[in-house]
Amino acid sequence: MERKWRKISGLIGLLLLNFMNNVSSLSLTITKVECVYEIVRFEGDIVSGNFVVVDHHIFWSSDHPGIDFSITSPGGDILHNLKGTSGDKFSFKAPRSGLYQFCFHNPLSTPETIALYIHIGHIPNEHNLAKNEHVDPINVKIAELREALEAVTTEQKYLKARDAVHRRTNESTKKRVIGYTVGEYILLTIASVLQVVYIRRLFSKSVGYNRI
Amino acid sequence: MIKDSNVQMAMTFPPLLVVLLLALSTGPLCDAIWLNIPKTGTKCVSEEIHSNVVVLADYVVVSVEDGQTATIAVKVTSPYGNNLHHSENVTYGRFAFTTEEAGNYLACFWSDNRTRGSGEVVVNIDWKTGIAAKDWESVARKEKLQGVELELRKLEGAVEAIHENLLYLKSREAEMRSTSETTNARVAWFSIMSLGICIVVSGLQVWYLKRFFQKKKLI
Repeated sequence: MERKWRKISGLIGLLLLNFMNNVSSLSLTITKVECVYEIVRFEGDIVSGNFVVVDHHIFWSSDHPGIDFSITSPGGDILHNLKGTSGDKFSFKAPRSGLYQFCFHNPLSTPETIALYIHIGHIPNEHNLAKNEHVDPINVKIAELREALEAVTTEQKYLKARDAVHRRTNESTKKRVIGYTVGEYILLTIASVLQVVYIRRLFSKSVGYNRI
Repeated sequence: MIKDSNVQMAMTFPPLLVVLLLALSTGPLCDAIWLNIPKTGTKCVSEEIHSNVVVLADYVVVSVEDGQTATIAVKVTSPYGNNLHHSENVTYGRFAFTTEEAGNYLACFWSDNRTRGSGEVVVNIDWKTGIAAKDWESVARKEKLQGVELELRKLEGAVEAIHENLLYLKSREAEMRSTSETTNARVAWFSIMSLGICIVVSGLQVWYLKRFFQKKKLI
């Protein structure tokens, strides 16, 4: 028990000195409502991220309502509310620490896949430390540099997800072009053969010459 | 609503859970996301990863009901269907693998039937790929770096990862552009061919019917 508490306090100490790098990137399938929760450890952390609906262009007709997205703070306030989107970026400064809720709502019954990426960035400052500890300015600069790099990574994840969507659309178009064209040729040939057969039958011997 | 009850349930636990997370995690500390696993059915998370990338994931069940932690079962599959990790009736675990093929890697969780109670199970999943999964402690030990040097080395790793990602995006864009151009050429070619087939088929029809009527002595 003693060892566990020492380990925990050691880890807490490590926590305070380390710069937290907090990223989550994954794809979820939404049937009706899906919520993802993330803990923000310090007030004032910048939470940024993006999400892209992966199946959008192939299966959605033009009157599809889109996916609704909302972010709720631990106090219950809704920080961000988007209705009918197919992908967006978000970024906000956390007003307090705690559990943040990122919820998706799918108005229709077909399941949709969403690629989500959340990044919580923390820059150490004087408020979070005890009175007799100081923050080395170089650590602050390093943290700011790291956050700038993470912003680039976040943007890259967004571009990657959108590229995946476009690639699916492209490949689906390619398959459709071939499929529909070959089908069209076959149908055309069948239609004209049927026409000839029908006209032949109209003029067959048993009917008689003068009927037409 | 189920959502709100989950948030409430989770809100009473943070101090206990932070302690639990700290006690159970052995690597660099990273927060993770929490997911609800429904009582029946599977909840799956996936990510599209390219080949030769290290994936490291930890999962911990964080909901406690009647003083007893619920148990879940986990299954991780590669895009070709190979089973990478499978465990049943566990409350925490970790899996790591290096991706061999590029594609969609799927991790599925479902609740074991043995858990009592009617609520949903909340699982804390920490999913790290690529540069985030790198073990900086062993790099620091091997190269004897500490403090600012280690942080700068981490930043250098991050910049390399960004560069790699950019090259990957560029190659994918080139692939997509060639697909688009092929499709464009095919659409044009197939439309002209369809017009050609139309003309040929109707020509054949007319010729055949003319011959038929001539044989029948109607013309």
